[in-house]
Amino acid sequence: MEITNYAVLACILFAIGATTVLLRRNAIVVFMGVELMLNATNLAFVTFARVHGDVTGQVLAFFVMVVAAAEVVVGLAIIVTIFRTRRSASVDDVNLLKG
Amino acid sequence: MIPDFTAPLIDWAALAPLLVVLGAGVVGVLVEAFVPDAVRRATQITLALAALAATVVLIVLRWGLIVGSDGAPGVSDVLVGGTVMVTPFALALQGTIVVLAFLGALVVADRTSSGQDAFAPTAAAVPGTSYEDLARRAGLQQTEVYPLLMFATGGMMLFVATDDLLMMFVALEVLSLPLYVLCATARRRRLLSQEAAAKYFLLGAFASALFIFGVALIYGFAGTVRLIGDEDKPGVIRRVLSGDAPLDGMTVLVVAGILLVLVGLLFKLGAVPFHAWTPDVYAGAPTPITGFMAACTKVAAVGALVKVLYTLVVGLPPEVGEQLRTVVIVVAILTMALGTVVGAVQTDIKRLLAYSSIAHAGFLLVAVAGINLESLRAVLFYMVAYGVATVGAFGVVTLVRERTVVPGRADGADGEDGVVLGEATHLSQWAGLGRRAPWLTAAFALFLLSMAGIPLTAGFVAKFGAFGAAVAGDLWWLAVVGVLASVVAVFFYVRVIVLMMFTPPAEEQLLAGAEARAQEAATGTGDEAEAAEASSGAEPAGGGVATETRTEVARTVVTVVGSRGPAAVAIAVCAVATLVLGVFPGPVLELAGEAIKFVP
Amino acid sequence: MTNPYVPVLVLMAVAAVLALGGVAASAVIGPKRYNRAKLDAYECGIEPTPHATGGGRLPIKYYLVAMTFIVFDIEVVFLYPWAVDFTTLATFGLVAMLGFLALITVPFVYEWRRGGFDWV
Repeated sequence: MEITNYAVLACILFAIGATTVLLRRNAIVVFMGVELMLNATNLAFVTFARVHGDVTGQVLAFFVMVVAAAEVVVGLAIIVTIFRTRRSASVDDVNLLKG
Repeated sequence: MIPDFTAPLIDWAALAPLLVVLGAGVVGVLVEAFVPDAVRRATQITLALAALAATVVLIVLRWGLIVGSDGAPGVSDVLVGGTVMVTPFALALQGTIVVLAFLGALVVADRTSSGQDAFAPTAAAVPGTSYEDLARRAGLQQTEVYPLLMFATGGMMLFVATDDLLMMFVALEVLSLPLYVLCATARRRRLLSQEAAAKYFLLGAFASALFIFGVALIYGFAGTVRLIGDEDKPGVIRRVLSGDAPLDGMTVLVVAGILLVLVGLLFKLGAVPFHAWTPDVYAGAPTPITGFMAACTKVAAVGALVKVLYTLVVGLPPEVGEQLRTVVIVVAILTMALGTVVGAVQTDIKRLLAYSSIAHAGFLLVAVAGINLESLRAVLFYMVAYGVATVGAFGVVTLVRERTVVPGRADGADGEDGVVLGEATHLSQWAGLGRRAPWLTAAFALFLLSMAGIPLTAGFVAKFGAFGAAVAGDLWWLAVVGVLASVVAVFFYVRVIVLMMFTPPAEEQLLAGAEARAQEAATGTGDEAEAAEASSGAEPAGGGVATETRTEVARTVVTVVGSRGPAAVAIAVCAVATLVLGVFPGPVLELAGEAIKFVP
Repeated sequence: MTNPYVPVLVLMAVAAVLALGGVAASAVIGPKRYNRAKLDAYECGIEPTPHATGGGRLPIKYYLVAMTFIVFDIEVVFLYPWAVDFTTLATFGLVAMLGFLALITVPFVYEWRRGGFDWV
């Protein structure tokens, strides 16, 4: 298969993730959108590594994975704290700071 | 295709500043694990401040080596095979960050005469539950704050001193993740605090995802994530210049990549249109953390932005560079306009300072858009001036509090009765502060004047330099826009000063305070006096509840709590620095001039 | 019998026999005493509760488990490529990896000392 297809797929996934972040209201789903973006990035890295024939891209993908995991830990902690307080994970309910 | 492995040479001495700060963070985690409760807080504070002070010394020592003497070049600034690159400019930024972090940590460490610091006893407890009460009564403390501060500072130091976009991404996360957590730890108005953390986190994670995808595109274009690189491993611009980027010709890839990377950096900087998080996060986070975040993060973000932008604008084909510059100019104008205009109608002191910081991001971008060495010097000086004013101003905000009035003595006179509550952030509560605390008010006025750019303060010299840099870059019209924006900005700073100094303190304004209090009760507080209300605060305000609480909490007055030392020292140092830099800016400007040896 | 993949085939056969055999043996000879808990839906060990109004209770300790898991999950991400290229990376790699492991241990110690594992 043409290798650019993978790059295109990465872009599509990234766009889907970004759209999720911008449109969805549930904090967990928003966060999943971010994760999708990061994984699309991984796909892009690995694809380009293949194109260039060097392993740098693959190593970069590892780093992105690690960072994504760290973000999950911190992000879930924050979201769960809010959820326990409010019994809701909707970002629309999180609106005390409007103004 | 795997190249032979040669272990990179690691110059430990050169890395020492970074390692000391991050090491203090790691040791701090172990302190949390093993040191008994009674001495833990003191240990953490000592460790954090000692590490930051030692880092300042190490940076000064390194400075002598790296700048070199009289035309002779200093030691190499490329470390660990190029992933860390401590140019004099980066070192100067690191020094600024560490000094500001030190001042910020002093404010964080201050418990004030109310005997409480700004952090929740256990940030994980649900506001208004018996568990929270229990934790408060047991005197638990969230001393994890200090290691988190260390990690954030370390991340910022790495952020400005790397040639490797991946390392920049890692540093971005290392500085962001602790800040997200720190935002959620406020002792009072806990729902606001948690909300701030959630917003900051979701938007921040989104921005980092954009950043790293940008890096992926740049990697796709150039086959490397190094910006400059060296002879063996040429970076992006070397490959572009020599025309051997693997996908040479697909410029759209690299332009899209750079734009995404810029979005990530502009987000951290709080520039329009990526500013939406700033007011909410600044208002919701614990105030000492806001001060630290506002000052240090901005330095780090500007440092990284300058690094990326200047390397690429110089290195890429001229038309691409020109387009990038246009982007920066547009963002600068939008940022200045929005920061000053929206800032002028704020009624909350923390939000006002937040919009002020957005406006300052705009002024900084004016300097950055100049794209010349003069800009770099201006940026450095601006960061120092803005940083000390910001840390100082937020330090003052931590000391202006609300206090309940014991029934029967509701005269609002100064006294030790009543319980000190959270910060009195509503502007109307600041009326007449000059009579209660003349020195504090004077310091705050000085910081505001500096932010406004009035002569004889550091802010004036900084703004002069910034607009001068724009003119030097043939952008005189942008400088004019900047001057106009700062004239508008003067209005809202002076409004606050007039309010503090010349408006009578308003016990008759209790109503306004009561409204703020009612809102606070509705948004969940964590205070001894309010354990009962806090339970109602757990649910976002039902109308009846809010009215009821209002009558109950209406009797609060504004009070100024005494500092227990550290915050006072920090505010004093900031005030003196603001004045000295305004009157004798020469030495610092000279230092900044030495620091602008940028690309090796 | 010179094909080098034959041992792999044998290993797979042994594994299949063990796995299937275990299931089959317990189905044939194991005692069968059902009670309510055994017939209930399996939800990671917690009692499956119908969702109460407002979302029901969240057993927060499982988030701790998840986060701890992620720490070690990540550790493996870096250990794996290092193990693959262990000989080339030589001493430098070993020292770097030991440093990395030591750093990973620090939060683990923190979690342990602060009662993160007390739910067991």
